[in-house]
Amino acid sequence: MLNPNLIHTLSLLMIFTSFAAVEARNLRHATVAYMFQALLICGLLVAYAAQNPSLYYWAATALVTKAILAPWFLWRSTAGAVQETQPVVGFGVSAVLVIILLSAMYMFTHAHAGLFIVGATGQVAALARTNLAVAFTVFALGLYAILTRRDAVKTVIGLCLLENGVHLSLVSLAPGIKETALAGIATEVVVTVYLLLYIIGGIREKFASTDTFKLSELHW
Amino acid sequence: MPNEATSALPALAVIIPAAAGVLIFLFGRFTGWLKEVLAILGVGGALAASLAIGRATLRGEILTSFDRQFYADSLSALLVVLISGIGFLATVYACRYMLHQVQDSEVPHASSARRLTMFYGWLMWFLATMLWACVSNNIIMLYVAVEASTICSGLLVAFYWDKRALEAGYKYLMLLTVGITFALFGCVIVYASGAAVLGGHRGLLLSDLRTVAGSFPITTVVLASAFLIVGFGTKAGIAPFHPWLPDAHAEAPTPVSALLSGVMLKVAIYALIRTVSLFYPHFSPVAMFVLGLGVFTLVLGDLMALAQDDLKRMLAYSSVSQMGYVLMGVGIGTQIGIYAALFHLLNHALAKALLFLAVGAVTYSTGARSISQLGGLAKKMPITGFCFLAGALAISGIPPFNGFQSKLALFVAGADAGVWWAVIIGLATSLVTLVVLVKAAQRVFWGSPPDQAAMKNVREAPLVLQVVMVVLALFCLGIGIYPKAVYAPLKAASAVVMTVGQNSTTTATKPQDRAPALTGRTSNPILVRYTGPAR
Repeated sequence: MLNPNLIHTLSLLMIFTSFAAVEARNLRHATVAYMFQALLICGLLVAYAAQNPSLYYWAATALVTKAILAPWFLWRSTAGAVQETQPVVGFGVSAVLVIILLSAMYMFTHAHAGLFIVGATGQVAALARTNLAVAFTVFALGLYAILTRRDAVKTVIGLCLLENGVHLSLVSLAPGIKETALAGIATEVVVTVYLLLYIIGGIREKFASTDTFKLSELHW
Repeated sequence: MPNEATSALPALAVIIPAAAGVLIFLFGRFTGWLKEVLAILGVGGALAASLAIGRATLRGEILTSFDRQFYADSLSALLVVLISGIGFLATVYACRYMLHQVQDSEVPHASSARRLTMFYGWLMWFLATMLWACVSNNIIMLYVAVEASTICSGLLVAFYWDKRALEAGYKYLMLLTVGITFALFGCVIVYASGAAVLGGHRGLLLSDLRTVAGSFPITTVVLASAFLIVGFGTKAGIAPFHPWLPDAHAEAPTPVSALLSGVMLKVAIYALIRTVSLFYPHFSPVAMFVLGLGVFTLVLGDLMALAQDDLKRMLAYSSVSQMGYVLMGVGIGTQIGIYAALFHLLNHALAKALLFLAVGAVTYSTGARSISQLGGLAKKMPITGFCFLAGALAISGIPPFNGFQSKLALFVAGADAGVWWAVIIGLATSLVTLVVLVKAAQRVFWGSPPDQAAMKNVREAPLVLQVVMVVLALFCLGIGIYPKAVYAPLKAASAVVMTVGQNSTTTATKPQDRAPALTGRTSNPILVRYTGPAR
């Protein structure tokens, strides 16, 4: 039996952790916020598993790839340089922007999520609506982080949030998806994160910084 | 009427190069030549399997493996032959070229053997993932394979590990991953809508989705199309999602550049065709949007190419432009339009791979790749010079090369569909392409060198490099002179797109009868020449 209170609480916390991961200027704090978010996804998947038991497998996959491996790679990559390069938008303005973005995105997607909910009614449909609204909001925050953050490591955290948003939406959009496809999707994210951080390690070595504004060797 | 037959070939085309990659990573560093041999065997095996798939599909068969998860029809066959064929030539080229590059570069903490092992290992996986994308029948695995091809080529783009390569590698992985995530949303929306009609498992299969996509609500179609076009369009280098492309194509080692431009962009276009064309029969505005995007891309790409001094960046922007032509054909959406798009896709793959490899030969011999630093190379490098010119004329659409045939078919398709504005813009942009590429060829090979002393000791590229370039140039010339050689596979591949909405195993007896995305007059005698008589 689905527990709506639990799901709503976890969903709300998802948005809070996204905010923390984007706005924390200390990269390790942002990594911890991201790890908490990954654990929340696992919790949400387990909560939804009352409705669809195959989600237990998803939760286990998310635990390994999102809550253990990706944060570990991020933690290692920030050794020696934990403070984020000053972003394009300052903390005060950014916090206001993020709150506006969060609210607008949540309300908009919550109002229109019915487009994607096929064949569900009552409480199940209401929870699917919440799930999709949270997923799209986290996705939008990830995109915001990639676009406004100068630090390459922070853009990777933004990418992780973006991917979390998409993966969370799968619960409602594609509950019957095969395990092989899901494993493929989850594995790719963690490999991409690893490779990006590996290349960022090279950038730190050659440019003595992870500031993406300094990546100006190549012009149009 | 195509019949589905269970066969190991689609799976083998993927597994052979993937296994070769594993063996290279495990054992490549122990023996000097082992990694090269394994790479040639891996891609050679994939080529053999691909040719067998091509032969079977020409007989009217559809090959499937693993409970229809792997599915090779005529459209897949065209792509897998192209990927493995150009992959084979690029790998042969790399065996000579990369040895020289690794010896010349200064990369700490890594021996030449280790770096080459990494290069060939990722190269095999890069080819395997592209082949996988083209034989995947599962819409989610199509996304997974396309993204996997990005992952496998990320370190190849950053191979030289200098500032420029690292910057290109970071942008490449980041922008493509963000872009392709949109495609995942699109694939999932299509799956969710398909599953509601077909039931869970069948909603994943492209071969089944094509029969029901017409029943999707219009809002679903618009959203899914937008996500798919942004996602796969980013990977295909479609403007305005193209900024990663010139950096990655220019900074990657030349054999990888040839594969990125010659093959990988086509895999993304293939994914776009497979998914977005699901909606063509019932939602023609989608096709019109694709056409507009194609025309915008072809103009922007060529204008950017005009401003480049770096030969590889110029070729990269030219690729953006040529992908615009392909997208224009896809957007026209009639049988001749799709036929022309696939024909140009094939021709561009051959000609652009040739051009990149020719620039690689120039870099190999001179150490330079800026137009302003080069000149008068035709006397020292006549084979390379003529191969570059052949590629330039082919891309520009000048007879007797292959690009002429496909561009003619494209413009005929546009005229037949009544989109004269697109035809006129396409023709005018072709002239710009001619100016860009022939001017570059003239300056680099027949112009006077800015520094005579620097060009004094230049020699023609090694024989292996010449042979690969000559083979590609002969293909460009051969298809230009005798285009009928590729009519049958192209016609069969375009029929796959034209029969969306029908059961794939009872392929249209009259594909022309289906309402095209844009109105076309299929009785036009010129069309009959290109698509064969109406059945």
